[in-house]
Amino acid sequence: MTHYSDPPLLVLACLASGPKHGHAMIEDITQLCGARLGPGTLYGAIARLEQLGLIEPLPPDERRRPYRITSAGLRVLRAKLTTLSKFARAGLRRLEPFMKQVRA
Amino acid sequence: MNPRLARLLTRLYPRAWRERYGEEFEALLELGPGDLRTLANSVWSALWEQIVRTRGDNMEQQPESFVTMVKRPSAFLPVAMSVVCLAMLLGAIAIGLLAHNPIHRDPDEGAIAHLFQLLMTIQMPIVLFFAAKWLRRAPRASLRVLALQAGAWLAACAPVYLLHL
Repeated sequence: MTHYSDPPLLVLACLASGPKHGHAMIEDITQLCGARLGPGTLYGAIARLEQLGLIEPLPPDERRRPYRITSAGLRVLRAKLTTLSKFARAGLRRLEPFMKQVRA
Repeated sequence: MNPRLARLLTRLYPRAWRERYGEEFEALLELGPGDLRTLANSVWSALWEQIVRTRGDNMEQQPESFVTMVKRPSAFLPVAMSVVCLAMLLGAIAIGLLAHNPIHRDPDEGAIAHLFQLLMTIQMPIVLFFAAKWLRRAPRASLRVLALQAGAWLAACAPVYLLHL
């Protein structure tokens, strides 16, 4: 429960700061939320996102291929993060009375 | 990770997937640790990709819908055969009722019984072919078609079972 794990969303958020290849994505996502995606999980997410047109491949750099987020991907990322943000705020508000009891 | 092991793990994926992602995936595996977690993650993802393919040689292909799936001969033929069987049985029962002889049995079972058995048996390999071909490619739509085929088959068998024909 300590790590947030929604691989496609994590990949989108990771690519929002610029194009990256697989290894760089894993490192960035680890820094971003503490979750270390396995290579199979990462490429499962990449395949789905590419199929949906939310990310696109760039020309390969030797054997590694960088990916970048598309404009559709940015829109989806923004919408998902907005929803998550609203959810987090509402959830924290509901927690406040309990937290006060714990502190008291 | 050992390059040989990385290659072996990559080979677990479907050919079309490997053609698209194989090289970069192998390079990623070689860069990372060869621990048990990575192995399990790669094997599980490869198996999942074998069942529900996200990537292939046809990236533009839209996911199969139920309507497009049911138009395939291997999808609608078994249903049509069951419907014909049901119609034959109901027709025979109706004619029997009109003739005040509801369940008429010929000693050799009669042409309708033979046709019924033939149609209900012939559709089995067609259903198996459909399941083998489409269940992995489009699991959701093909499961719905298989449910329809099963429903039609059961509906055709129901009068035989209920009326002891």
